[in-house]
Amino acid sequence: MAKEMIAMLLAGGQGSRLYALTQKLAKPAVPFGGKYRIIDFPLSNCVNSGIDTVGILTQYQPLVLNEYIGNGQPWDLDRLHGGVHVLPPYQQASGSDWYKGTANAIYQNISFIERYNPQYVIILSGDQICKQDYSDFLRFHKEKGAEFSVAVMEVPWDEASRFGLMVADENDKITEFQEKPKNPKSNLASMGIYIFNWDVLKKYLIEDEADPNSENDFGNNIIPNLLRDERQMYAYHFSGYWKDVGTISSLWEANMEVLDPEHSGINLFDENWKIYSRNSGMTGHRISSEAVVENCMITDGCRISGTVKHSILFAGVTVEPGAQVEDAVIMGGTTIKAGACVKHCIVAENVVIGENAVVGAMPADGEKGVATVGSGVYVGDGAKIGPNAMVNSNVKGGEEQW
Amino acid sequence: MVNSNADALGIIFPNTYDSMIPELVSERLMASIPFAGRYRMVDFILSSMVNSGIGNISLVVRKNYHSLMDHLGAGREWDLTRKNGGLNIVPPFAQKNIKMYTGRVEALASIIEFLKSQREKYVVMADTNIAVNFNFKKFMDAHIASGADVTVAYSEEPLPEGAIKRNDLGSNMYYTFDIDNGRVTNLNICSKEAGTQNFSMNIYIIDRELLIEQISTAYLHGYSYFERDILSTQLDKLNVQAYRYDGYLARICDLKSYFDENMRLLNEENLDGLFSGDPIYTKIRDDNPTRYIGEAKVKNVMAADGCVIEGEAENCVLFRGVRIAKGAKVKNCVLMQDTVVEQDACLEYIISDKNVTFTCGKEIKGSDSFPVYVAKHQTV
Repeated sequence: MAKEMIAMLLAGGQGSRLYALTQKLAKPAVPFGGKYRIIDFPLSNCVNSGIDTVGILTQYQPLVLNEYIGNGQPWDLDRLHGGVHVLPPYQQASGSDWYKGTANAIYQNISFIERYNPQYVIILSGDQICKQDYSDFLRFHKEKGAEFSVAVMEVPWDEASRFGLMVADENDKITEFQEKPKNPKSNLASMGIYIFNWDVLKKYLIEDEADPNSENDFGNNIIPNLLRDERQMYAYHFSGYWKDVGTISSLWEANMEVLDPEHSGINLFDENWKIYSRNSGMTGHRISSEAVVENCMITDGCRISGTVKHSILFAGVTVEPGAQVEDAVIMGGTTIKAGACVKHCIVAENVVIGENAVVGAMPADGEKGVATVGSGVYVGDGAKIGPNAMVNSNVKGGEEQW
Repeated sequence: MVNSNADALGIIFPNTYDSMIPELVSERLMASIPFAGRYRMVDFILSSMVNSGIGNISLVVRKNYHSLMDHLGAGREWDLTRKNGGLNIVPPFAQKNIKMYTGRVEALASIIEFLKSQREKYVVMADTNIAVNFNFKKFMDAHIASGADVTVAYSEEPLPEGAIKRNDLGSNMYYTFDIDNGRVTNLNICSKEAGTQNFSMNIYIIDRELLIEQISTAYLHGYSYFERDILSTQLDKLNVQAYRYDGYLARICDLKSYFDENMRLLNEENLDGLFSGDPIYTKIRDDNPTRYIGEAKVKNVMAADGCVIEGEAENCVLFRGVRIAKGAKVKNCVLMQDTVVEQDACLEYIISDKNVTFTCGKEIKGSDSFPVYVAKHQTV
């Protein structure tokens, strides 16, 4: 049975700018928003948009991601025909190769796509926080009679030169593509989400692969080639919440925005567009008599006895009496011991912050660093971790790191 | 069988003791009563069985089982969607008129052909009025080591007031034991004795062949009750061993005990007692984390996911999706799924069922000894 559209989700990114958080896991598996991982967003978008076949292209540290995806059941993607498939690079009769670029990753999986004989293929990115209806995007693509469409966001003109920009006419037809230009002609930034007619994509993938000088990248090679051949290319305007959480500060910021859905526009409470995730299976969280909780998101398995302000706590976090947590993102299974002071920072999974230890600091004197503690790290009693520190290994009691 | 799997099948009676808590079972049964923030009563015994390697579990339902079927689905959350065994819900048999069983004997007689066709050596049986993280493996080991015909689990505790006070026990019989050197010598029905008793948890293990034989005979004689008609009359013939359970348990006998047992979990030791062992599984709702906004003040609260708290809550158990608006004050309450407390409403000692709404500014108070219950879908 042919599928109208299937999704290919690029999840091989190392996320090197997330440093301590991506030492042992791929960026799409980075926890987000209290009980999610980044990849939950594109996967939930797919299901909510009616896409039931998703290929996930993995390469870097896929262990956690593989286990997390499993058979796809939490996203309702365990299907008889289709469903979710994790696609790492594999050995073929002609040899084997890592995915050399985004386009090459899709090229190496042409036979996967052909199994479903789709009319359209949507290319998604596994490192963005975004709630988007891909079926509306497809409607646009069909209405325009496009062969290629790209989702674009309007960005402020002064930031435009940081992005890949689409220059489009009044009919949204793309006339030019500028990759991080000095003098932007447009403020329509590519979100890295594309819909292709499959026959067109396949042709260009094969052509691109044959070109020894190509970087095998969508932005640098495929899109310019489409333009060169004057293909039907259109820009689809998206105006909802979208955030590339590629850096520590943007990841922290996006988490903080979850706490303020009324202003930030990222509403996880939307009954009509649920974000699904694999469940922790822990019991309800507990807030004791001596605890103070203000403007927080707290999930199953947490035990709070200290003070928690304007923070996101993931499953199974313990905050002991007298500990203070503010403007912080505390990932699953972490324990913050009595008297510790944890502020303006990201603490990864299964970390122990010792008694009276200090992690991060509220911004002062133009200093806005987000301290980061990598997963499984033990921060000894009374240790001090400065606001710009990136901690990846145990810190002894009383030691300081800046 | 591989070692990790138990050579036993499970049978759960989801309707036992229904009528002791009529308020909560008007549209459901004991097994689907919400408990401890995000669970239903059945989750505890079902998860306990699964965690002990029992993968073939039948629930012999009697009536009002719609909510239970909705909750259990195909049993996926309990890892019971299996080709062999798995979850098996047995509804009453609809002949000319639907035949509802009264006691365990009839219930088991209705599935006797099923029991005959199974391969497990043992049968474990349990009710759902007790929330407990029970290790069936140890229980089985004790049964096998003692060479008993039947082993029954009990706890040492005083009989609950809710049980003693009632005169209309009817089918809600409860049992206490006289025990001599591990063996049950006397089975007392609806005892009213004060002080600590050997109080049956109605958790049994019995050889499958023996169960089939006993049920077939009892059914022919027109007997209804396993305890009264099979066990208590044959204590000289059958070696019935008592297995003392010392861990945490929450027993629901009436509305008051339902309230108290929820509240008891606000104590961290009790919470650990029930949950620190193997995980308790439940239906997944995909709620977002709970949000505490603005003026929210919370003290001594257990809350599940999906809540939005903008008001005050103290000494409460909040189930999934509860909303407490600005200015509202909720104290000593058990609020079930999706209860909405609107602005400036003030609640004390309330048990609200699913989807209840307390409108702006309403004040309702129950008392410690008599919590007020608000039925499903009501607007106050």
